[in-house]
Amino acid sequence: MSKNKPYISIRDIAQIGMMIAIIEACKFALSGIPNVELTSFWLIMFTLFFGWKIVVVVPVFILIEGAVYGMNLWWFMYLYAWPLLVGITWIFRKVDSALFWAIVSGVFGLSFGALCAIPYFIIGKSTGGMSVGVQSAFAWWVTGIPWDFVHCAGNFILMFVLYRPIKYAFQRMCDGY
Amino acid sequence: MKDNKRKIIIGGIVLVTLMAVLGIVYFRNRTVPQSGSKNIVIEVTGSNSATEEYQLSTEAAYLRLAMDELVDQDSGFSYDGTDGEYGIMIEYINGERASYAEDNAYWALYVNGEYGQNGCDTQPVTDGDVYAWKYEKAQ
Repeated sequence: MSKNKPYISIRDIAQIGMMIAIIEACKFALSGIPNVELTSFWLIMFTLFFGWKIVVVVPVFILIEGAVYGMNLWWFMYLYAWPLLVGITWIFRKVDSALFWAIVSGVFGLSFGALCAIPYFIIGKSTGGMSVGVQSAFAWWVTGIPWDFVHCAGNFILMFVLYRPIKYAFQRMCDGY
Repeated sequence: MKDNKRKIIIGGIVLVTLMAVLGIVYFRNRTVPQSGSKNIVIEVTGSNSATEEYQLSTEAAYLRLAMDELVDQDSGFSYDGTDGEYGIMIEYINGERASYAEDNAYWALYVNGEYGQNGCDTQPVTDGDVYAWKYEKAQ
């Protein structure tokens, strides 16, 4: 990289903006269907195809979500849940299989309730000690398990169906540059 | 290619195992409301440690509905709070306010002496149960 060349080009900024816009638009479009979302799908695909740019996309996406919907308890779950998905994707980034990524996305959907129970453990522990923390988190997790199955099925199907066409579209787009 | 296949198989095993674990955990721990008439007790212990007891015969499936019945019976029991995404956050019981923001205080729900696993909107009502609301302060 030459001395005068910026680390992030205008094209990079535009791509990052487009990625965030796509995630937000899909999130809004699917907001009427509980626990069916394309955020997991896009974060996996963007990590696979746009590499380091996801490091900017995720925090900006989380900040926008907090600014639009309010920084409530669920927002703190976003701070670690989405980066975790991106981290897992990065580890397996060389795998090119719709089925594999459908499984990863499905496992993430199934684990989402358990991940989101962590703040309830912290709140419960701070108010009534360790046992109350564990009980609060466990109760919250168990109540939401049916929705974790919905999340898992949605993530699995969406990734399995969309992986190839979106990969093809991304490859064509990248070939154009 | 062979490595991909191995990862898919391992991933598939993880997914199926996780589904089985979640299914077992859910069916062993889910709370199911009981139909028909039930006799229950609702207790209220305020900040002065005095306890008031209310007997109720109800067909309500969930505790909040039973509490509404108790309010309608002019029993002296009352409650109020803020409805949110996960049900009501109880702030007042029998006119006494527990404010977490101001006093680190809250109304804790105990079911048969055990710390409640649900909010009052999702707490199933079972015959013979004792539901105790206690004014508590965070440690």
